Amino acid sequence: MTAVQTTPPPRLPVRDKAAARDRGWGGVSPMLTRLAAERATGVLIRERGTLHLAEGRVVHADSPSAPGLDVLLTARGTLDGDTWRQALTETGDRHRAGHLLVDGGHLTRGALEVCQLTALYDAAYFALSPSSTPGRFRYGTEADGESEPKPGPGCECPVPVAALERETLRRRDLLHRIWPDPATDEAPLVRAHRAAPPKPTARQRAVLAELDEVRTATDIARDLGRPAFHTLVDVRRLAAAGVVSPRPPALPEPSPAPQAPGPYEGIPADVTDPHITLLKRLRDALEAL
Amino acid sequence: MANTETALKEALASIEGATGVALVDYTSGMALGTLGGSKSFDLNVAAAGNTDVVRAKLRTMEHLGLKGQIEDILITLSDQYHLIRLISGRGGNGLFIYLVLDAKRSNLAMARHQLRRIEEDLEV
Repeated sequence: MTAVQTTPPPRLPVRDKAAARDRGWGGVSPMLTRLAAERATGVLIRERGTLHLAEGRVVHADSPSAPGLDVLLTARGTLDGDTWRQALTETGDRHRAGHLLVDGGHLTRGALEVCQLTALYDAAYFALSPSSTPGRFRYGTEADGESEPKPGPGCECPVPVAALERETLRRRDLLHRIWPDPATDEAPLVRAHRAAPPKPTARQRAVLAELDEVRTATDIARDLGRPAFHTLVDVRRLAAAGVVSPRPPALPEPSPAPQAPGPYEGIPADVTDPHITLLKRLRDALEAL
Repeated sequence: MANTETALKEALASIEGATGVALVDYTSGMALGTLGGSKSFDLNVAAAGNTDVVRAKLRTMEHLGLKGQIEDILITLSDQYHLIRLISGRGGNGLFIYLVLDAKRSNLAMARHQLRRIEEDLEV
């Protein structure tokens, strides 16, 4: 009897994620990494947002999920809305509007800078979230002559791509450590009732007051004038405490024709036994270990 | 009015014994700016970790029903002082300044006083 010897197939190439994490980049968007290396200027358009690059550094980020600089500045009374709109009309560009307001004494330079950085990292977190479609890059600043703000020379806060990618990975990790189920990030939120809930903080109370079974965490962030990622953090903490949960999918309409009593007659379809919810949360947490 | 970089520079230059300083957002744990530190003392890691310190203290105060605001939190090591100064202000976005001092060369009362002045410059 002859044994047929075949050479084992070569190992499939696996991207070394651990090494990428050590480098601090490469794990978010290979395209962005390449653009940074070639010091590209232009706009990277991804599924959930856009990044504006100037010479390989990020000068502006936009995402429909994250409130912009204007919302962060005006929502809590740092600046009033009319002053902002007026400055925007005069300059036609968010960065220059900010500088005009600083020069006019409406805003301190530190406040503007902190808000700019917060808005940039916030939008970039969503723009760099895993997407189902490939990103596109348009080179040059002239190509986008439409309504997009150009990465003008006035921007004082260009962020290196490596720093942005490192921070985005850290933020993903932070959310995962707080509560591993990402369902609350995008679903409409409802208040979950449990006996003796822990006392929420002032920030969390503001979020709880906004829950209406319709809006998502990012909608609530916009209404409160807070960065969207910060609201994801608050909501995940509340979800971990069992106070907030994503809205359960709508139950199917019961069929109008009378049916023979089934074996589950008398058992409510939507079981809300607190022990079951607790067990489910425990299971989710164990699975995530 | 100072921008963040000047404020951090001022903190490091004018406060006796300061070896590192960071401006930190305590909800996200991100350092908006850092200055100083060393290879063996990563200010970004310190920033992220100390957000838990601030959060724990704020939560405890909520539980106790204390209405006062935290001005600063002081942690003394055998050879270093770590000073956390919460930035008050309308923004209420939750920022703090994190200052590392060499215990042998610093004057704690003076450092607190100077940090308060720098905080005023950064009011958001």
